[in-house]
Amino acid sequence: MKKFFSVRCILTYLLVLSAVYAAYAAYYKIEYWGFNFAPKQNTNIWTIEAHVSFMPNGEPIKVSLARPTASNEFKILEEDVVANGFKVGKINKNTPRIIATAKPKDGGEQNLYYRVLLFDNVDGKGRIKATPPKKPDMPVMDDQVREVAKELLKLAKTQYPDDEWPARIIKLLNQTPPEPTVVAFLPMKKSQKDMAQAVKTLLATEGVPSRIARGIKLVENKKSTSADLMIEAYVNGKWKLFNLKTGEKGLPKNFVIFQRGGDSLLDVEGGEDSVVKFSVLKSITSSFKLAGKRAELADQKVRFDYSIYNLPLAEQNTLKWLSIFPLAILVVVVMRNVVGIQTMGTFTPMLLAMALTKTGFAAGLIAFGVIIALGLFIRFWLSKLNLLLVPRISAVVIFVILIMQILTIVGYQFDFKIGLSAVFFPIIIMAWIIERASITWEEDGAMNACREVFYSLIVAIITYFIVSSEYIRHIMFAFDELNLVILFTVMLLGTYTGYRLTELTRFAPLVKDKK
Amino acid sequence: MFGWFSSFVSPGRLKEAGVMGMNDRNYSIIARYNKRSLYPLVDDKVQTKILANKIGINTPRMIGVIEFQHQVKNILEIVKDYKEFVVKPAHGSGGQGVLVIRSYTADSFETPSGRKISFKELYQHVSNILSGLYSLGGKYDVALIEELVHFSDIFKNFSYQGIPDVRVIVYKGFPAMSMMRLSTAASGGRANLHQGAVGVGLDIKTGLPLKAVMYNKPILKQPDTGADLMQLKVPFWREHLEIASLGYDMTGLGYMGADIVLDRDRGPMMLELNARPGLAIQIANGIGLAGRLKEIDETYPTGLNAQERVDYVLGRLK
Repeated sequence: MKKFFSVRCILTYLLVLSAVYAAYAAYYKIEYWGFNFAPKQNTNIWTIEAHVSFMPNGEPIKVSLARPTASNEFKILEEDVVANGFKVGKINKNTPRIIATAKPKDGGEQNLYYRVLLFDNVDGKGRIKATPPKKPDMPVMDDQVREVAKELLKLAKTQYPDDEWPARIIKLLNQTPPEPTVVAFLPMKKSQKDMAQAVKTLLATEGVPSRIARGIKLVENKKSTSADLMIEAYVNGKWKLFNLKTGEKGLPKNFVIFQRGGDSLLDVEGGEDSVVKFSVLKSITSSFKLAGKRAELADQKVRFDYSIYNLPLAEQNTLKWLSIFPLAILVVVVMRNVVGIQTMGTFTPMLLAMALTKTGFAAGLIAFGVIIALGLFIRFWLSKLNLLLVPRISAVVIFVILIMQILTIVGYQFDFKIGLSAVFFPIIIMAWIIERASITWEEDGAMNACREVFYSLIVAIITYFIVSSEYIRHIMFAFDELNLVILFTVMLLGTYTGYRLTELTRFAPLVKDKK
Repeated sequence: MFGWFSSFVSPGRLKEAGVMGMNDRNYSIIARYNKRSLYPLVDDKVQTKILANKIGINTPRMIGVIEFQHQVKNILEIVKDYKEFVVKPAHGSGGQGVLVIRSYTADSFETPSGRKISFKELYQHVSNILSGLYSLGGKYDVALIEELVHFSDIFKNFSYQGIPDVRVIVYKGFPAMSMMRLSTAASGGRANLHQGAVGVGLDIKTGLPLKAVMYNKPILKQPDTGADLMQLKVPFWREHLEIASLGYDMTGLGYMGADIVLDRDRGPMMLELNARPGLAIQIANGIGLAGRLKEIDETYPTGLNAQERVDYVLGRLK
């Protein structure tokens, strides 16, 4: 029983708890804030602009334009209406239409703009559960056409027995070359609207309710004078969308529905020659920047406001830099207590690694080598002067600064990045490395001094490769709860009493001789 | 590659052999049995010496202490009654910063290796000690000046320069394991195993050599003098153990290392105590320390005084 309350056990519980918490937090952030494990994830933002223009005819004006309503298939970043001289009705997320009114006007063409920014559009199933609409009326058509329609339906059924009715009809009508019967029903040169109407008529003949869905297909830099159409049919208790070209079921990722059913896209009272033109523009932004908006849409605003990610960018960058430190510390702990590599100073390798990430790997190593080599040389000269410790170390610090200055100047002249980056090295740390190395050199010989520097460098390089990985940095920042996991891992390592890796060779003679 | 790999052994086998690792030593032994507040007693050699003298442990006589920078110039005044002396940092470790002067004139000081240094260099060395160059954690330190140990001729052939010393690990007051450390040319006259000194494991009961290692590898002869290391015999063994055991009474440290030297005139003397003795002693003995400590935990009696503990270890007290 006592075992369950030992330090090691308590730390294990805490570690497991923190891991569970981190896992939950990761799930939460991915689900509600749209965070991603991969760094530099970009999100497409689609800007759709509907440009309505008409000529007023002197009556009171009322413009009614369909707008996309909230749906699971995309999120609205922002939307606005520019309509000079019009009174625009309030828009909330479920308003189906934008209403703009104005007193009678005369004069030239009136222009209204509606702009909506969408993101996170996904493949939607495009199915809506609904109570069954009433059976469609038999379309009015003459006997000859009715015969053709029936013939078409029969053809569709035999040719595509596995599909649902809407898909059958669409596929049949789109065949190339078309069946003669199809040509009789639908002109060769058919518009989207003709096609939609034909499908609707045929479905009605078969008794399947259907309606036309108007929306915009998201294609980069598109300008279009008409909405794109899809057909929505009531099949098996649900409204389902079908692509008019392929008969494919479901709402494609790049389609945004503005309006469904009989209402028109645009109604203008008090005006003539009304036209709506759409233009689509794609822009790319970092996924991270949209997190706040996503949180807001998911009703998680408060939690987001009190997170790192709501801070100004400068603070975020500082915290991003800090949040990689625990991992680097973990590396040092593992290297020392589990692997058993002795380094100069506990955190020196970690600070070196951090410096390397600022300087760049090769340039940093060269700068480090130059500074240490020159520093040692100067230190040996200083030791002949018999200075006291603190002034001597201070002198080394100043020399390190001077070496960095020279490196920078020389580097600039030769257009070599070394110099400019050398400044990032922690000066005091460098001075201490030089001091320690020179003392080890004098007391334990050059071999030991080089070995110590070498080991420190090895640990620094390993740390560097871990902390410089864009992936790891991103994950440690985006899912900063992991730092708790690291904290308890480090604490648990504090109770590790097993052998260090290097001890497996160091103490090997103790068991080898016994054989 | 495979050769390198085969130099590893499985942790299971080490455990079976009762080998103690660094982490185990730090966590299970030092953290548990060595109270932090007791460290200054052994980390400060001046304090250790005063305590030892109080309890009746033989140590090299203190000539003087230099505490402040302005006293450094008086060093000749301090040592004027002595022909030879040793300067060491009171908070030094691993023999760092120890300077032995075998003979000197006003401006020339000769070390045992024959190297001559000037007064300026000596002055510099003492200054370095004061500024904390050799102390743990780089804190300001004091320089301890003490009498030179005239090491016994018995070991003359076994050691190249330097003073051979006996390291005894004391656990809960019982001498648990011991070895003799012999300096070599490779170790530069120092007695640290990692610097290349020879470690000769000594049977704790008899003081007779078990085996010898240098750089972790078994050897039979002193590399510089060629002396047969198995012929090493430490006289006054019981006295060595007594000093070690008394070290426990003096400090209260449950786990420590006592470094003992043999002076030709004054017998075994305690040089210093160590609250974190290293683990190389296991290799020199060819015996795992964890197993030995476990034995002490489980079978040794408690409540004995230093003499009784030594008697018990020597097998004279049943």
